[in-house]
Amino acid sequence: MVYLDVTEPIINIVIRSLYVSGVASLVAFITAIVLCYYYSGRSKRVINILTSIFEVLVGVPTTIIGLIVYMLLYPNGPLGFMRLLYTPYAIIIGQFLVALPLAVVSLIRHFYSVRESIRELILSLGLQSSRIEIILVLKELKPILASTYLLAFSRCIGELGVAMIAGGAIEGYTSVLTTTIAIQTSMGNFEEALLLGLILISVTLFTAILTRLLSKLLGEHLT
Amino acid sequence: MRILLDSVWHSYDGVAYALRNVNIDLSGPGVYVVTGPNGAGKTTLLKIISLLLKPTAGRILVEGVDYWSASSAERARLKSTTIFVHDKPLLVRGSVEYNVSLGLKLKGLNSTDIINYYIKRYGLSDVKNKNVYKLSAGQLKAVSIVRALVLQPKLLALDEPFTFLDNTRAKLLIEDLADLADRGSLVIVASHYMYRDLAEKCRGVIELFMGELISLKRK
Repeated sequence: MVYLDVTEPIINIVIRSLYVSGVASLVAFITAIVLCYYYSGRSKRVINILTSIFEVLVGVPTTIIGLIVYMLLYPNGPLGFMRLLYTPYAIIIGQFLVALPLAVVSLIRHFYSVRESIRELILSLGLQSSRIEIILVLKELKPILASTYLLAFSRCIGELGVAMIAGGAIEGYTSVLTTTIAIQTSMGNFEEALLLGLILISVTLFTAILTRLLSKLLGEHLT
Repeated sequence: MRILLDSVWHSYDGVAYALRNVNIDLSGPGVYVVTGPNGAGKTTLLKIISLLLKPTAGRILVEGVDYWSASSAERARLKSTTIFVHDKPLLVRGSVEYNVSLGLKLKGLNSTDIINYYIKRYGLSDVKNKNVYKLSAGQLKAVSIVRALVLQPKLLALDEPFTFLDNTRAKLLIEDLADLADRGSLVIVASHYMYRDLAEKCRGVIELFMGELISLKRK
């Protein structure tokens, strides 16, 4: 087992990172689908306004999001009673906020155009707007959905601000790949930092390859 | 099936009118052809006739029922017998067979024989299991037409169905439309080209210009 200049094995940090970012990006992804489907029935003007808002939110630094989550979860803060600060859940909440705008921006225009086509198709086939509409829309968007989820996941696993500020980088509890790299670097343990950096790059690279493969596979997949 | 357009006006933006005071009384069975230059309002007329588009003003009477004032259940009943085929094929991700059977599936029906018959008739057997995104423009058009034909609708409206179709498929389509009309359906075709076969088999020609009905010549 490979240990850092701390007592925790690297594998635990990797698993924690994958778990925290996986859950955060999944919740953000599902929320984005619900939001996009709901708003895709509105006018193009509404879509343009929403896109602009979420594009601005994509640019908010993760440290600011970390700070907001910190203030919300701080013992005297509005959600302090939940005692979530410096827990993996705090990181999940923060990373959810990091990934949500990105997922919405990636999906909303696709949802709008595809839903319009599907609705027109359903009507042209002699049916009123049907419950099948959402299934056809999601089916049509399969490759985009796959790439959006993996994009959200990459954004989550690579962020530092939220994990550091809201998670606190507590060894064996809330330390993730990015926070451990930062701490190891500050301690002068460049070799360990570099090793973790390579692992992080491998994870993001693997995610990118998976995105391409999945998009291609789903794009060509029949029925 | 009888469809009556009473003083129908339509505008997409509230400024320019795609249709102006159109009054038409069409009753099936039979094939009608809508002609006119670009921007004459052919597509708008077809979408209104096939109950896809609510006119800005005027009434659409289907079998004597004012469609847009009818109850939701009544509208669903009338709509279920009306099919519209777009100029640009609207297809979904999946195989040719899946797309052809989509209308039947959505209506909770299944008829493998009729699906296979039309797939073979329009020369789509070889690409039956191929993703529609890999087809040629003519094949895509054929798939969207076949998807409508398998439903055997009472009212079938086709917008520029001959675009991208080769002569063989175009002739087959004219035969099938005439056959559908012989079985009691009302078929309305918007087309720039007036094929001789179509001219011989159609019951009337509707001529539009700048959104106005110029003439309705019945045979």
